[in-house]
Amino acid sequence: MDEIKNPISLINKDYETINLVTFEEWLEDSEQLSKLGVGVILDPSNDVGLIKDSLDVIELIALDFRNFDDGRGYSQAYFLSKRWKFSGEIIGINAHLDQLQFMIRSGITSYQLLESYKGFNEEDYSNGFSICYQAAANNKGLNLQY
Amino acid sequence: MYQYSEQDKQFLVERVDQFEKQLERHLSGELDEAKFRSLRLRNGLYMELHAHMLRIAIPYGILSSDQLRALADVADKYDRGFGHFTTRQNIQFNWIQLPEIANLLRDLTDAGLHAIQTSGKATRNITADPLSGLTEGEIEDARPYCELIRRWFNLHPEFSWLPGKFKIAINGAKYDETALRIHDLGLRLVRNDNGELGFSVFVGGGLGAAAMVAAETASFVPVVDILSYLESALRIYNLKGRRDHQKKLRIKFLVRELGAAEFSRLVNEDWQQTKDDPELKLNLNELESLKKDFALPVGPINFDGFKETVDFNYSIWKKNNVRSHKVAGHSIVNISLTKLGSAPGDATSEQMRILATLADEFSSGEIRTTKRQTIVFPFVRKDQVFDLWKSLEQYGLSSPHQGTLAQIVACPGRDYCDLAKAVSIPIATRVQERFNDMNKLLDIGDLNINISGCENSCAHHHIADIGLLGMQKNGEEYYQITLAGETLRETNIGKKLGPSVSGELIVDAVEDIVNVYIDNRQDEERFTDVFKRIGIKPFKEKVYG
Repeated sequence: MDEIKNPISLINKDYETINLVTFEEWLEDSEQLSKLGVGVILDPSNDVGLIKDSLDVIELIALDFRNFDDGRGYSQAYFLSKRWKFSGEIIGINAHLDQLQFMIRSGITSYQLLESYKGFNEEDYSNGFSICYQAAANNKGLNLQY
Repeated sequence: MYQYSEQDKQFLVERVDQFEKQLERHLSGELDEAKFRSLRLRNGLYMELHAHMLRIAIPYGILSSDQLRALADVADKYDRGFGHFTTRQNIQFNWIQLPEIANLLRDLTDAGLHAIQTSGKATRNITADPLSGLTEGEIEDARPYCELIRRWFNLHPEFSWLPGKFKIAINGAKYDETALRIHDLGLRLVRNDNGELGFSVFVGGGLGAAAMVAAETASFVPVVDILSYLESALRIYNLKGRRDHQKKLRIKFLVRELGAAEFSRLVNEDWQQTKDDPELKLNLNELESLKKDFALPVGPINFDGFKETVDFNYSIWKKNNVRSHKVAGHSIVNISLTKLGSAPGDATSEQMRILATLADEFSSGEIRTTKRQTIVFPFVRKDQVFDLWKSLEQYGLSSPHQGTLAQIVACPGRDYCDLAKAVSIPIATRVQERFNDMNKLLDIGDLNINISGCENSCAHHHIADIGLLGMQKNGEEYYQITLAGETLRETNIGKKLGPSVSGELIVDAVEDIVNVYIDNRQDEERFTDVFKRIGIKPFKEKVYG
């Protein structure tokens, strides 16, 4: 494979455009795709364990938080960030304002809110608490109470 | 007694501030109903038949007199002057106006009270034996462990959006008052052969339409490793629990589908990766500090030669309502709030203030609530029990029904709840009216009757001696009867007696069942023991014959 069909792209923190492939596409042809330097987009139902061994050749991972009540993305983020120390970016896509604090603490390194949240002040929602009661991937700036 | 620190209270304030903003966005149309529902439930707020209901946690069933006064103030200021003590260590207010919620919650933060995770698809408040620390034969007071585990799962970033609700109970006593094996996850404090303390873990219990007893997934998890084990269990549930079927969201369905052995294997496999992580070890310094906070406020007193006052009514009340205490010279006093025709567990603000004053005078300022929806004074001096009874009598709180059949557990039922299929409280009232002779009640002894208005089983009818479940049949109210449910010594779900019985005839059926028990009882035999010995047949024949 030398090109990606219907590429979805994300801008990473260095303002580079990274093309994304789906989890299934990655599993099908990871060898070729790894040479292109792509990101992988995961649905909440995808078994994140299946990409564990190729984390060093994946540039970026996007976790989909579209469904408000579906918390599987938080465990996916935990595995990538805390358990396997994935060094690339973990982007929470289709994110909800009211869940930013959970996403950030689970190890998401950046996020892309759903369109419907345009105009809201994100700071109000990502910094709601001064205290946390448990170890987590990212407890930066919080007073640790455990 | 244990109190929240200033930092804990700061956290409560921050949570209220956050919820207030969400509420404002919802009221202005910026936050849709589905998302707001998910957020409000995590703050204990329900939409009921007539108004909003708010559920406040009473951790481990313990309240200080000041906290009870704060709840009385809320009842007056925001509700219609009463609150409802539930079967699961909460208090509910049923007539709350949406725009007032934030002020109400803010009023409670000073008293260290909150509604965080009292509902919604997250770990709920953890329950413990309401008599923790008070009874003989306890392996260990469960409350310090409960508190450390509760804190750990308080707005946990990974486990706040689970497939379904998640209830945890921890028992450290000889007998299981917490009913831990009907919880999503139950922990039993145990000692191994070396005398070390740890937990047996049970997962996948629950009541409702598919009642199940939790399976043991680990026989001994050392105390220091319990957080990592619980995280692994919740992780497997979070990733693999059913999210596609509204009626199969609870972990019991996952455990059933995978099989308990496979579920345990998955948890153990995950746990092996994390159990040595120093960040996940239980903080033993904090544990010691909490043990001091939860230490009993009284020491032994010698009352040799003390003569109890002789009074007929007092002696009946004492027989039913007063239990022995592990600290010499003290008693545990049960106070029943049940009045004919009112919802079990309902308390007026006036009653709450009276109880707070009496607790200051007679019980070191501490009050506990039980799953039979009664109030306990845990530290009453033996020489003051009579004076307490006199005061309770003066305020109409000296009902001697505790530990008798008349202390019925009932949910609000169809009178108040939009989920209910049938009424509960009027049935409880009719049963109480039928059994209104104290001599007869004393003869029958301790026998649980629990009445739920629907399959959600809020009154825990599955684990009562006699359980009644309300349902609709051809537009009429019927009740399914289950017998011999229990959790104290072993856990058994009640057995269905037969076809459901109409509302009109249900009290006759209850009386028949009680009579079969009395006629077959040998010595002090309990209902469940008689049932095991004679089987279901004699009960069936009497009710349907």
